[in-house]
Amino acid sequence: MPAKKPTKTSGIKDLVIRVCVGTGGLAAGSQEVIDEFGRQLKSYGIKADILKKCVNKTGCRGFCAKDVLVDVILNGKSETYQLITPENVARIVEEHILKGEPVKEWLVGPEYHAFHDKQTKILLKECGHIDPEDINAYINIGGYEAVRKIFPLETFEVIEEVRASGLRGRGGAGFLTGLKWDLCSKAEGKPKYIICNADEGDPGAFMDRSVIEGNPHSVIEGMIIGGYAIGANYGYVYIRAEYPLAIHRLKIAIADARKKGFIGKNILKSGFDFDIKIKEGAGAFICGEETALIASIEGKRGMPKAKPPFPAYKGLWGKPTVINNVETLANLPSIITKGAKWFASIGTEKSKGTKVFALTGKIKNTGLIEVPMGISLKEIIYDIGGGCERNRKFKAVQTGGPSGGCIPASHIDMPVDYESLMGAGSMMGSGGMVVMDDTTCMVDMAKFFLTFTQNESCGKCTPCRIGTKRMLEILTRITEGKGKEGDIELLLELGNDIKLSSLCGLGMSAPNPVLSTIKFFRDEYEAHIKEGVCPATVCKALRRYTVSAELCKMCGKCFKACPSAAVTWEKKQPAVIDKTKCIKCGACYEACPFSAIL
Amino acid sequence: MVNIKINDKHITVKEGTTILEAALQNKIDIPHLCYDKRLVPYGSCRLCIVEVEGQAKLLAACSTPVTPGMSVRTETPKLLKARKTVLELLLVHHPLDCPVCDKAGECKLQDLAFKYGPAESRFKAKRKHEPADTGSPLVERDSNRCVLCGKCVRVCGELQGVGAINIIGRGFESKISPAFDEKLNCEFCGQCIDACPVGALGRRHFRHSARAWFLEPRDNVCPYCSVGCTVTYDLREGKIMRARGVEGKGINNGNLCSKGRFGFDYIYSEKRLASPLIKKNGEFRRVSWEEALKHIAGRIQAIKHAHGADSIGAIGSPRCTVEDNFMLQKFMKSVNSSNNIDSSARFGYAKIQEAVQMSFGLNRLPINHESPLGKDVILVVESDIASTHPVWGLNFLKAKKEGSNLVVADTRETKLTRHSSRWLRVKPGTGVALLNCIIKIALDEGLYDKAKTQKIEGFSFLSETVNDYPPSAVSRITGISEDILVKTAREFLTAKSRLITLTIGASENTKGLDTALAAANLVILTGENPSSLQMPAEFCNTFGLWEAGVKPELGGKNAVSMLYKPGAVKALFVMGENPVITFPDSKTVEEALRSLDFLVVQDIMMTHTAKLANVVLPASCWSEKEGTFINAGGIPQQVNHIVNSFGNSLADWQILKNLSKVMGAEIAIDDIKKLREEFKNNKSVEQPAKLTFNPVTYTAVGEYDTEFPLKMITGNLMQHSGALSCMSKGLGSVIADAFIQVNPADAQRYKIRDNGFVELSSIKGSVMMKAQVSDEVPEGTVFAPVHFSHARINHLTSLSETGSPPICAVKIKAAN
Ligand SMILES: Cc1cc2nc3c(=O)[nH]c(=O)nc-3n(C[C@H](O)[C@H](O)[C@H](O)COP(=O)(O)O)c2cc1C
Ligand code: SF4
Ligand code: SF4
Ligand code: SF4
Ligand code: FES
Repeated sequence: MPAKKPTKTSGIKDLVIRVCVGTGGLAAGSQEVIDEFGRQLKSYGIKADILKKCVNKTGCRGFCAKDVLVDVILNGKSETYQLITPENVARIVEEHILKGEPVKEWLVGPEYHAFHDKQTKILLKECGHIDPEDINAYINIGGYEAVRKIFPLETFEVIEEVRASGLRGRGGAGFLTGLKWDLCSKAEGKPKYIICNADEGDPGAFMDRSVIEGNPHSVIEGMIIGGYAIGANYGYVYIRAEYPLAIHRLKIAIADARKKGFIGKNILKSGFDFDIKIKEGAGAFICGEETALIASIEGKRGMPKAKPPFPAYKGLWGKPTVINNVETLANLPSIITKGAKWFASIGTEKSKGTKVFALTGKIKNTGLIEVPMGISLKEIIYDIGGGCERNRKFKAVQTGGPSGGCIPASHIDMPVDYESLMGAGSMMGSGGMVVMDDTTCMVDMAKFFLTFTQNESCGKCTPCRIGTKRMLEILTRITEGKGKEGDIELLLELGNDIKLSSLCGLGMSAPNPVLSTIKFFRDEYEAHIKEGVCPATVCKALRRYTVSAELCKMCGKCFKACPSAAVTWEKKQPAVIDKTKCIKCGACYEACPFSAIL
Repeated sequence: MVNIKINDKHITVKEGTTILEAALQNKIDIPHLCYDKRLVPYGSCRLCIVEVEGQAKLLAACSTPVTPGMSVRTETPKLLKARKTVLELLLVHHPLDCPVCDKAGECKLQDLAFKYGPAESRFKAKRKHEPADTGSPLVERDSNRCVLCGKCVRVCGELQGVGAINIIGRGFESKISPAFDEKLNCEFCGQCIDACPVGALGRRHFRHSARAWFLEPRDNVCPYCSVGCTVTYDLREGKIMRARGVEGKGINNGNLCSKGRFGFDYIYSEKRLASPLIKKNGEFRRVSWEEALKHIAGRIQAIKHAHGADSIGAIGSPRCTVEDNFMLQKFMKSVNSSNNIDSSARFGYAKIQEAVQMSFGLNRLPINHESPLGKDVILVVESDIASTHPVWGLNFLKAKKEGSNLVVADTRETKLTRHSSRWLRVKPGTGVALLNCIIKIALDEGLYDKAKTQKIEGFSFLSETVNDYPPSAVSRITGISEDILVKTAREFLTAKSRLITLTIGASENTKGLDTALAAANLVILTGENPSSLQMPAEFCNTFGLWEAGVKPELGGKNAVSMLYKPGAVKALFVMGENPVITFPDSKTVEEALRSLDFLVVQDIMMTHTAKLANVVLPASCWSEKEGTFINAGGIPQQVNHIVNSFGNSLADWQILKNLSKVMGAEIAIDDIKKLREEFKNNKSVEQPAKLTFNPVTYTAVGEYDTEFPLKMITGNLMQHSGALSCMSKGLGSVIADAFIQVNPADAQRYKIRDNGFVELSSIKGSVMMKAQVSDEVPEGTVFAPVHFSHARINHLTSLSETGSPPICAVKIKAAN
């Protein structure tokens, strides 16, 4: 390409271009966008060294529905573009960078701002703003200050600070982090270990991945703080192998931290040695459970063990071990630098700080959000999430992933904290939030989660291995229209017995999605069983394949889609389906743009 | 001690006890399926759930340790309901094929269902349909019946140290399988079968052969090694159908090795002898007992007349009972006035006994099954304990697991080297040098018990002798680096408690009297008791044979003087031994036997030695007669008469008693009681210990000439014991053929293929067999298991009349 005539580039005093390169961004083509910016700027003769500075690789910023996101910060003024492809780059460069006129129609809309305004960012604050592969970027914003701050302190003082902050584990159970550390620091046995749990196996969850991809040093710093506090000289990050980018960035971060002397022997001349190894897991959900995780690091099959003994007393290789979730650890640097009081001022009485959620499902703004504990569900769903897709009716939200339960629309004012969620039959879990609208069949949804847990059950204990299979069989027959009188009671009884008698958290919580949907949506189950109807028309076998005359807009798409000539339709006439010819293939149902086929 | 309450009953138990153990100890029943006393709590079946006051969750009794003041309930309505559901889940998943399952009648699931189960199931559901594994030797698997209690996996891994099977898959599809779903390739100990609570694992040879309720259990002592395990044999119509270990029984506490569990069927071999035979014109003729005994009496008396009593000799047997052996020595000493009596122990256990006498002044070395447990350091010298004494071997693994530093010096890779903390891959037969080196380091660094030992006879001679064994020199001899030698020595010498173990079996050629003496020197120097040296007897009654007096005393001839010089004796009695196969340099032995005037062999089968005999007498074997075996620890154990004796066979002691009577001897023995009394009165009394240092030097065993460049180690396989086990079809299904193990580098050098035939020669002769190419042996060394009589490995071996190990130099070439 011949160099374009250099237009005025003198007006560009300070140009920063940020492109989202988290896994979501990369999948959407952010690398191509970066390359295109490079080419374009070069062709205008903007020097290469400026280029390098300009294009930061930033971690995930949460608004995944609108990837690729690009910030253009020209002379200190920032504008954000959404849904950018390489084809868009030329115009942005020409109009915005060179002429100073942002391309209005590509800029993010008000929902982007609403998405950000209700959030409080501690963990995700720097994600998307600093280069995760550059340790200096982290240091420049005050990174590793916490490590400097703890060394003059006694270990119990560090533990006390964490305890006072009220930080609770973000990996599921919400155990007080300070208390866990205290137990482990007092446990007998050497060496001790600290493990960062980055297994993140919940379907749809990617909070931990994003934190590591966007700000890996915050996790490493958290581990150093934890290691120092409990007296561990070795740390492991147990991370699923399906997270290659996170692993890549973590490796760079560990190497850089070692070079700078934040990990290794005699850190900052404190006399404290600490090193971190990465252990890649094969991606089994059960390996996120702490005793199974330990077994997996030890090279055994990932299967949970009975507790007690708890890992804090007898963990990895039989030695005292603290296991903390990624998010738990990433909170620590700010707790240390800003103080326990500051942290405890955010959130509710018993749930402090913020929580990252992965907002997915039938919601407009899907993506990663960070909110203060105690925020209401309503604020999350409507203010941040923008409500349901296509403005459909919000029906329920599933929190806590496959171990959690669903919370119906009637509870929308409920505050989001550990106790409230638990009280509603769900749990905080690791932070998955799947939003459902009136097109979601609750039986089908419960089946989805139970299929997951059944496949992921380690197979060790009877209730979980066989019981969930039997529950799944019952759910399947209900969704196939073969449900029987008494099936609901059977599910309840079996579910409760499985919860009571299982060995580990997986089995103890696997029935939750079923139990909570029965609790709040029993009528849907009954409709399936007694009337042979799936109210959300999701269960294929239960669809009636009749056209609702009210909803039908007479477009004739169903007529064209039907492979078996069962639909009769004429222009300006609602379609009619001939039951005797219908083969229930679902082609018309998929084809109807107005959901008029029931 | 901890006080707790179970169902309001006050109970005191030891700290660390689990709720389930506490309950069982106090006769409170909590149903359980995956619990096994020998294993780490697992908690998978969830039948043992209980309620603990103040705990919201239900807890598994088997994996929850008691805490002071704990109050437990085992039968609340909530529990009963949950338990019933768990059981129901197991049952709906289980195939209802009890009518064709061998386990029916003794199946834990059946029992539990009967006791706690629901009358009918609320579920109709999918079961598994996996093909059964019926192609592996000895062990059969049907994973459809499996309840995934994980016992087999844990027994195999935790206890047996093998890890041949694991759980694979997830969720409902989880199942027990060898890695990659292949056929089983393991030790075939069968421990997993006995552990399985249902019919998912079974004995191949027992399949569909008897219903459990028709079986009559009878206990007996295992006929193989000197551990002396108690085995429960299940009989149907007087025939042993299977053998199993029963928790809580015997020194083995239910554990058995493959020999003990599968090897009993040798008694049903078609090679058994049914009646007395006399050879005439080279042909054996069946005769009556009367005729046979009269014939023998006549010939013996004639030979005694012509050549004197000293021309009669006898060989006893470590496989025969104390009574049999005692009667044999009595027959020799008092009926025939000859002290020429010995056994295969000459090439093994006699060396241990000699060393024990010389070093400690003792008649018996205290051997203890539990001795490895709790020791800081265990040093195993060129011994494959896990093969020769498999169930004792388990305690070495256990000790290692519990923190002992297990140092194994061995040329070959064995189960023990694989489980060791440090494997010293020494050159074969260099144990003496290694031990001398440790002594040298002890003396140099003052790491020994000065007060106790400097005054002991031989101390200064010892310090002089070991001066030739500094690490630098011993590193050259053994092939172990100086660093490691010094490190090992220091660890051993500074330990709080220590153990040295070695075996000297008749077929093992890497150790000799000198090795035992060197080990004893080291033990004495560290100020330890003799019990810190564990050198066990070899077979089920090697110890008893020695106690019974089957050894040349008062100038009698030993096995070497009788069998390696033609004409040394004129008439020989051989009881339950096969010298032509099992004694070293067996060609010479064969010549000596052929030159005898008269040879009597009493055995359970027609052995190679029996074929040379003038008269062959059929003996009843173990389980067909009453008697006593004394195990390695000196514990006499009753051998029970549980099956009818074969054909016209008689117990060896009875044969000899009858013969004595025919010969007109005045012996006051008419039944076994009298015999036992006499034995008791005859037993030597233990004398007080007297410690002596017996310095020994290492003799380079063949810095071999170019003609025979390889060193051949002879020894044992885990599934075999002497030649006896080769009569067992069961054990034969694992390994039935002889082989010589050759390192891949040597195989390449001599152009040998795996499984190809080779010719193996020593200065004594040559034999043919299959090669097994494996790096379990290092370059320059080959290994030959000694069990297979057709291989005639002893055509190659030699006697060692000095104290050094009788290692054998060989050459090898591919045979076409
Ligand atoms: C089936 C199962 C899966 C789990 N998966 C994860 C996971 O992916 N990540 C995680 O941090 N914790 C997971 N946990 C929770 C861990 O066992 C453990 O409680 C947690 O890592 C402790 O860290 P925290 O105290 O920082 O929350 C899981 C628990 C169960 C029962
Ligand atoms: S037979 Fe023994 S070694 Fe083989 S799988 Fe069973 S327990 Fe393991
Ligand atoms: S095969 Fe038997 S012992 Fe092994 S897991 Fe299955 S039921 Fe348990
Ligand atoms: S051979 Fe030895 S270890 Fe094996 S069962 Fe028999 S006595 Fe026990
Ligand atoms: S015996 Fe306790 S869970 Fe199986």
